[in-house]
Amino acid sequence: MANSRVVLVRGKGVLKQGGDIDQTKLLEIFNRGFRLLMDKQNPEDSLQLLFSVDDTVGIKINTISGRMLSTRPEVALSLAKLLLKAGISERKIIIWDRTNRELKDAGYSLNFSGSGFRVFGTDTQGVGYTRELVSHLNIGSLFSLIQSDMVSASISLAVLKDHGTSGVTAGMKNYFGAIHNPNKYHDSNCNPFVAELFETDFIRKKHKLTILDCLLVQYHRGPSYHPRWAEKYEALLFSLDPVAADFVGWQLIEKLRAGNSLPSLEEEKRAPLYLRTAERMGLGKANPGEIQVIENEV
Amino acid sequence: MNRRQFFRGAAGAGLLASTGLIKQIPGMLVNLYAFSGNENLSKVEARFYKQLPDKEIECQLCPRFCKLGDKERGYCGVRENMDGKYYTLVYGKACAINSDPIEKKPFFHFLPRTNALSIATAGCNVNCKFCQNWEISQVRPEQVEHYDFPPAMVVDSAQRYNCPSIAFTYTEPMVFYEYMYDTSKEARLRKVRSVVVTGGHVNPEPLQDLIKVVDAIKIDLKAFNQDFYTNYVRGELKAVLEAIKIVARSKVWLEIVYLVIPTLNDDPSEIKMLAQWLMKEVGADVPLHFSRFHPQYLIQNLPPTPISTLERAHGIALEEGLHYVYIGNVPGHQAESTYCPKCKKLVIQRVGYTIERIELKQGRCKFCDNPIPGIWS
Repeated sequence: MANSRVVLVRGKGVLKQGGDIDQTKLLEIFNRGFRLLMDKQNPEDSLQLLFSVDDTVGIKINTISGRMLSTRPEVALSLAKLLLKAGISERKIIIWDRTNRELKDAGYSLNFSGSGFRVFGTDTQGVGYTRELVSHLNIGSLFSLIQSDMVSASISLAVLKDHGTSGVTAGMKNYFGAIHNPNKYHDSNCNPFVAELFETDFIRKKHKLTILDCLLVQYHRGPSYHPRWAEKYEALLFSLDPVAADFVGWQLIEKLRAGNSLPSLEEEKRAPLYLRTAERMGLGKANPGEIQVIENEV
Repeated sequence: MNRRQFFRGAAGAGLLASTGLIKQIPGMLVNLYAFSGNENLSKVEARFYKQLPDKEIECQLCPRFCKLGDKERGYCGVRENMDGKYYTLVYGKACAINSDPIEKKPFFHFLPRTNALSIATAGCNVNCKFCQNWEISQVRPEQVEHYDFPPAMVVDSAQRYNCPSIAFTYTEPMVFYEYMYDTSKEARLRKVRSVVVTGGHVNPEPLQDLIKVVDAIKIDLKAFNQDFYTNYVRGELKAVLEAIKIVARSKVWLEIVYLVIPTLNDDPSEIKMLAQWLMKEVGADVPLHFSRFHPQYLIQNLPPTPISTLERAHGIALEEGLHYVYIGNVPGHQAESTYCPKCKKLVIQRVGYTIERIELKQGRCKFCDNPIPGIWS
């Protein structure tokens, strides 16, 4: 089987003083990332390989940690614009997370029924969760109707963070925000729960792409924001392999930890074991020998 | 009507229609309880937590000891770290309010033939795969409708509807500890009793405090082996056994329920060990209820418990010396009733939640004067 490709593109200066985003630089990162990931000249061509114009595409973001450490609105909206250019109509692009409060706190403007991209939480009136439980291995959850019913294809646009329990929270664990009871899946380093949740039909069959927002990487004491251990890394990470994406994200966190004289996650007994489980389940690669990492800078 | 609609209806109606109260007092809910929707959560500082560096906290309410960063919630889903302080989100936010026969809890030796004003908030600190009430216990408070129902109003309602007790039940009351504690304190001042229906997955310190203000506790012992607790409950048996011992040594009335699930916790040797442990640590007088399982939540592939299995468990416990062993969820079964351990005569006859007759006089068997333990008046 071919190696999984993971592309990490850094753009020095994309995160300006004061936290604003340099939009031009951000777009360059997206362009370069998609080109290296899909071997296509422009992002639209890449996205057309992944999505059809009939798709309703969900961009699942992570807004649990407030303005400083959530998927940045500029990143999500830039991706939405690229999807639009790829032929997906704007009403069929949904940027979403579990609650409207968290979306607003992270800087998003809600838009459920107006023109433009739709941005809303599962708790929007008339949305909510599936009526029936989805039961799969150790998972028993209700799914956000956004993930189960509204979207036909899904992008995990997560923030890369250290996590006190799971070790790393990234693209796969981002889907904890697609179910009603994520608090029940934090035992034993979230293993096997992250992998088993990803394997459910509503996620595995719809997930097409992982992009990790690594503009600011919380490499210690996550998932909350602590400026002392947040590195201005100014990168986005792209992969079609959800496990490989998170594996490379984990290695990045380890690199930052080592560079700051912190013990490894393994030493702290919170390595993200769910990645090995996911690999065993055939969801992707968690073996560095089978992952092609392409690092680039714009 | 599915279970979720049932619970929403229960909360929405204030007191269940099955009690007849709604028919008697049309529109009562509108006057009594303020609909709180599902966004309006409480922000009352929690008890039993430790502040850690960097705005982290450690919850010390239950044996999980959740360590949480800012904006994170515990396993229960109803307690949140906000900027280094820990808060309960469900104080005074009842999602189910009913008037139930006390026998439904079940309490068989506690104020028989009375109703308990029964309340719950969202949340639970375990995740039993056979939970009957998962639509309210396994959700976050934002995901259910709830009502503003502060402690004083709970006691008012109990008195208004002739409920001599308030039951904290349906979900796991320990996760709404502060609400339960304050309500119980208020109730005691006003001569209303408080009873707790719990899985007993709680740390000793909070439990020691709680038993100062409540009158009875029913503990659901889910099995007598840790593997079951690991795989089907996601909890710690040791902590539950410790909780049973603490309550047994207190003045609070204790009853134990054991839900018998075919093939999972019905092994006769396990039942025997359970009965022996109860005899040693609690004594012969603790009522033990073997309840019938019905397929629920994540265990849909097993049949209801055969009556013969329940009868076998019942026989084992009696043989080991327990005096008051019951079979639950089998209306009409003779083991729903209480028999005097001395003269063997029937002293409380039950059919389902109905008491057919009581042959007690001041807590003693009418026939042989043997004391029957419990809180009878």
